[in-house]
Amino acid sequence: MARAASRKRPRAALPWVQGLLCGVAAVAAGPTALLAAALLAPSAVMAMSGAEDAKPVARCMMLAGLAAAVFPLAALWSGGHTIDLSVSLLDDGGSLLTAWVAQAAGWLLVELLPVLIGAAQALQAKAQARALRAARTQLEEEWGIAPAAQPADALAEDRSTTAS
Amino acid sequence: MPLPTPATPSVAAPPLTSLVVDGTLEGAYSIDFSRPLTSEAGGLPAFAATARAVGRGSLMAVQVQPDAPPRAGALAVLGNWTDPGLLAPLACGPATGRDGRAEWFMICAAPPGAPLCGSGLGPLTAWSEADVIACVLRPAALALTALAARGLTHRAIRPDNIFRAASGGAAVLGCAWAAPPALHQPAVCEPPYVAMCQPAGRGDGSMADDVYALGVVLLTLILGRVPMAGLSDAAVIERKLELGCFQALTAGARLPSLTADLLGGMLADDPQQRPPPSLLADPLAARSRRVAMRPHRRAAQPLLVEGAIVWNTRSLAFALARHSAAGARLLRLGVVDHWLRRGLGDTALAARLEDAARPRDARAAPMPEPVTAMRAIALLDPLAPLCWDGMMLWPDGLGPALAASPDAGAGDATKLADLVAAEAAGGWADMRPDLCDAAALRANARSQRAMLRDRSWTGGWARLRYALNPLLACRSPLVAGHAVARIGELLPALEAVASQARQDRAVPAGRELAGFVAARRLGAAERLLAAMTEATPADEAALIQLRLLAPLQAELASGPLPHLAGWLAALAAPRLDGWRNRTRRSDKLRLLQSAAPGGQLAEVLAILDNEPERQEDADAYLAAKAAVAAIDAQLADLDSGLLSRAAAARQLGQEAAGALALAALAVCAIAVAAG
Repeated sequence: MARAASRKRPRAALPWVQGLLCGVAAVAAGPTALLAAALLAPSAVMAMSGAEDAKPVARCMMLAGLAAAVFPLAALWSGGHTIDLSVSLLDDGGSLLTAWVAQAAGWLLVELLPVLIGAAQALQAKAQARALRAARTQLEEEWGIAPAAQPADALAEDRSTTAS
Repeated sequence: MPLPTPATPSVAAPPLTSLVVDGTLEGAYSIDFSRPLTSEAGGLPAFAATARAVGRGSLMAVQVQPDAPPRAGALAVLGNWTDPGLLAPLACGPATGRDGRAEWFMICAAPPGAPLCGSGLGPLTAWSEADVIACVLRPAALALTALAARGLTHRAIRPDNIFRAASGGAAVLGCAWAAPPALHQPAVCEPPYVAMCQPAGRGDGSMADDVYALGVVLLTLILGRVPMAGLSDAAVIERKLELGCFQALTAGARLPSLTADLLGGMLADDPQQRPPPSLLADPLAARSRRVAMRPHRRAAQPLLVEGAIVWNTRSLAFALARHSAAGARLLRLGVVDHWLRRGLGDTALAARLEDAARPRDARAAPMPEPVTAMRAIALLDPLAPLCWDGMMLWPDGLGPALAASPDAGAGDATKLADLVAAEAAGGWADMRPDLCDAAALRANARSQRAMLRDRSWTGGWARLRYALNPLLACRSPLVAGHAVARIGELLPALEAVASQARQDRAVPAGRELAGFVAARRLGAAERLLAAMTEATPADEAALIQLRLLAPLQAELASGPLPHLAGWLAALAAPRLDGWRNRTRRSDKLRLLQSAAPGGQLAEVLAILDNEPERQEDADAYLAAKAAVAAIDAQLADLDSGLLSRAAAARQLGQEAAGALALAALAVCAIAVAAG
C-alpha cells in the first residue's frame, strides 16, 4: 500500500508543477506566453478535455499548431518581444487563423489516418482469406477432404462475388 | 520280408502339355467319336483315335470318368514305354467330347485283338497249358517285370483286359491307367484283402497282387470258365478267407501239374509267398519255388457275428470289418475273447486282443468303437486292410476313395473324414509294424489330418481331395464342363467362363476352386489363398486372384485372357477408391479400362497393386491434410484478429499523424531559421 501511495504522489503533484512552470514562464516571458496561449488554445482545450485518446490527438494538434506558430513567435522575438507586439500580432488575425486552421488540420489528420489504415488492412485481410479459401477448395477437390464450415462473412463475401 | 508299404500317391502331376481342341487331344491326336470301342478298354468308354503327325491309326482314346481320376504316378513314369506286352499311355488331357463338353481322355495303343474273354465274345474255351504259359504267362510276366523295375503295378489284370491278336501270338496287358488302381477288378481276380475294400480304395497295391490276378487269369483259361462265377463279392471273399484262395478258386478241379504248382504260389494267401514276376518268366524255375500252404486253425465252435458264421480268425476279422457296430459290441462284451480262448484255443491272441481293445490307462476315456474294431481286426488278421466303421481301404487308396465319395458331410465322406481326423492309418500301422512302414504312414496321416482341419480356403475337404488326386478334375461349378484337372487348364477354362458370364457377378474363386489351386500350385498360391474367406470383399478377392493368376499366365505363356482380365478388373476396380488423389484415381481407372482388353493379367495387376505409388499417394494425402489444417489456422487467425487490427490501425494512424505534424514543425522551424 505504501508503494502504491509513493507511485501516486508524482502524478498528483504534476498539475501543480505544470501550473508553477506556466506561472514562471508567464512572468519571465509574458509576450511569448500570451501569444503561444492564444495560438495554441484549441490544443490546450483538447488536452484538458479528458476525452478518449485526447493526448495523442492533442499532441498532433499541438505539433501542427506549433508549426503554424513558428512564424509569429519568430516575428515576436525579432520585433522586441513585447506585450504590445504580441497583442498586435494577435490582433492581426491572420496568425491566429493560420494556427487554429493548422490545429484543425492536425485533428483531422489524426482522426482520418487510423480509418484509412484500418480500411487498407481489412482489404488486405480479405484478399488473403480469399486466397486461402481458394487453396483449400482446390485441396478438397483434389484429395476428397471434407469442406470446412464457412463463417458468415465468408458466405456473404461468396454471395457478393457470385452476384457481381 | 515285410510287405511293401503302399505309399501315398505322389502329388506331382505329369507335365502340362495338353490343350482343349475340338475332338483332338494335345493337338497331336484326333478322336473319332463315331467309332466307339466297346470291349477294348476293360469296361471304360473308348473311341478310335489317330496320331495326326504320323498318321498312326491303331490308337484308342479311353474316356476318364469324372470321379475316377487317372493314375498320375503311372502317367509320369510310362512316358517312354516300349515293351509290347502292355498298352502304355501315350498322352492324356482334355478334349471336347460328343456333347460339346470337355472330357478327359487317355490315348493308348489299341489292343491287337479281342480280350481273352468278355461279354459278347461267346463262351470261353479252355486253353492248353502250353498256350497259357507261352502266350499269356510269359509275356505278362515280362511286362510286369518291366513295370516293377519302374516301381509300378498294373492292377487291372483280368480276362477282359488282356488282349490277343486273332492270329495268335503273345497276349498284351490292357490299359490300366485311366482309372484308380483295381477300380474295375472283380472280387475273384483280387486277393481277398483287396477285394474286400471299396473299389476306389484299393490303392496301388504291390506286384504280388498283380501276380495273384495273373494267376486267376491263368486258372480261368485252363478251366475254360471263370472260377467262383455266380457268387456275390462277399461270398467270394468269405470263401477265400475260409478255405484259402487256392482251394476256393480251384475248388478241387483237376489241373495240369505245372499249372497247379505255379498257381499254388501265385494264389498264395500271403503276398510274401507269391513269386515275383521275374521268376514267372521262367515257369520251370517258378515251379520249384513251392509254397507250404498251412490251413488256418479252425475253431471247434463257430461264432455268429450279425448273421455271419465264422470259423477262423480271418473270417472273424472280415465279419468285424463288415459289421463294425456289432463287432465292437461283441468285443466290448468279451464274446470275441471268450471265443478265441475256448473256441479256437488261442489264449495268446485273446490276451493281446484284450490289451488292444482297452486303453492302457484305466482312467482314460474308452476308445471309440471304430478305433476298437480297427485295432482288433489288425490283430486278428494282420494282412487285412484298414477297416474303419464298416469301410475298408488301403491307406494309399484314400485319395481315389475321396474322389469317389460325394461332398463332405454325406455318406462315406463322413466316415472318411472321421478316418482322417482320427489318424486311423497311423493307428492301424502301429498294430502291424512288421508289414508296413509305420513311421511313414503315421506322418502321412498326421499331415492329412492337419490339412483336413485347416479351416481356411487352402485346407479342408477340397484341398485334401485334390492333394491326394493329382489328376482329379476340379469340381467347382464355375468350371464344370471344362475338365480342369491340371493348373495349366485352369486359365483357358476361366477365360471361357468369363467370355460367357455376366461380369457383374461374384468373384470367380470359391472354396472348391481355391482348394484345387492350392493343391496344384503350392507355395505362393497357398499363402495368397490363405487370406481368402467367404467374408473377403469382392474387390480384395479379385485382387488376390489377380496376384495368383498373373504369374501363372506368364509361366504358362497361355496368351491373352481379355475376358478374364476384364472380369477381374471390373471386380477389383473399387480398390482404386483407396487412392486419395482424385486425378491419379481417374488416371488409374482409365488405364485399367484400357489394359483389360489386352488380356495381360500382369498389366492389370500392376495398375491395381502398385505399393510404392500407393504409399506415395498416402504420403501426399497426409501432406494435403496438413496444408488444409494450416490454411484453417490462418483463416481462424484472420477472423479472430479484427479487433486487434483496428486497435493497431488506430495507434498506427495516430503515430503517423504525429509524425507528419512533427515533420511540418521541423520544416517551418528550418524555414524560419533560414530566414
